[in-house]
Amino acid sequence: MRTIDDYLAELGGALHVRGAVRRRFLRECRDHLADAAAEHGEHEAVRAFGPASEIAAAFDVEVAARRGVRSTFATVAAVLATGGSTLALIHAASTDTTAPAWWAVAFFVGAQVAAVAAGLALVQALVLRRSTMAPAEVVLLARRNGCALVAAGVTMFSAGAAVPGRGSAVVLLAGPVLACAALVAVMRARALARRLDGHDALAVRPPLEDLGRLVRVPVPPLDARRLLLVTTAVAAAGAFARDRVEHGSVGEAFAFAGLEGLAVVVCFLVLGPALGLRRR
Amino acid sequence: MSADLLRGHLDRLLLAVLADAPGHGYELGQRLAERSGGELGVQEGSLYPALHRLERGGLVESAWSAGDGRRRRVYRLTPAGRRAVKASRQEWRAFSTAVGRVLGETG
Repeated sequence: MRTIDDYLAELGGALHVRGAVRRRFLRECRDHLADAAAEHGEHEAVRAFGPASEIAAAFDVEVAARRGVRSTFATVAAVLATGGSTLALIHAASTDTTAPAWWAVAFFVGAQVAAVAAGLALVQALVLRRSTMAPAEVVLLARRNGCALVAAGVTMFSAGAAVPGRGSAVVLLAGPVLACAALVAVMRARALARRLDGHDALAVRPPLEDLGRLVRVPVPPLDARRLLLVTTAVAAAGAFARDRVEHGSVGEAFAFAGLEGLAVVVCFLVLGPALGLRRR
Repeated sequence: MSADLLRGHLDRLLLAVLADAPGHGYELGQRLAERSGGELGVQEGSLYPALHRLERGGLVESAWSAGDGRRRRVYRLTPAGRRAVKASRQEWRAFSTAVGRVLGETG
């Protein structure tokens, strides 16, 4: 006959999660089994609790989801802070410097990728924060967060390389420090999710459907091609309007809109599968 | 009742039994069994991943408590959890009425 200690040893052996959350879970299980054994006997208590491997798998998935959601909030805070640090860096730059074209392109692409990836992760986390999340969903969340943090880093680095200057170390370092902390949280969630069954399943989450679920407004489903078309059109129109507001000529505004559209298409093709926007 | 039928409903069942009073995991399992007349057949171990999920969603909060001389993790509903119970009851009434109509027509 299997005792509570045997069962808990099996449960502990099947769990992937480590640390305080594991100790709390095993403690709760021990308390539960002790109460059940006092009423129904040890054998019945263990039987009614369920197979150790199934319970451990369900708990691991839950902890991975919790870490995924928390690391998303950390990522969004870090991206915003890095944006603030980058603006401070630009304001602290020498007035006579001119940004080389490549650094300027890296800056604009990095900033937009960081905002889009962080936005996608945030919407996914908010939609799924009260639901079960498959390991593949947690891996996707980690990819979106990782992409947002790397792009935020690229944005700040490009700004520093393009327009060097002097600024407050605290303000300039606040963003990167938060980004490093968020990256650790993201890697932790990803590492746990990747140890679970089903982590390698392909996760594609259409962002507009998630957004519709979040704001409770029905959104017509868009396949990847239509999503790209709509996004490119909106981004190009935004770039055109911005250039016109900044007193660019119509020709310059069209060229700017074309570059923006091209950048969106290239980013969608390269990063789309990693961000769960389209299948490979 | 089959596990397939139960899947997806455990969270709302736990919220409903927590609406009566706060409780630790074993106590909640007992209430669930009593209120369902033992028909649901929930694996007791599956309560804990579900309780942690509800905690993640901000519907439930928990703390260690030493009520009868033993430390236990006691769960209670948050204000968001109370609103969720209300919404869940309305949702379930509409769903079960609709399913009942369909099954009644075909059965």
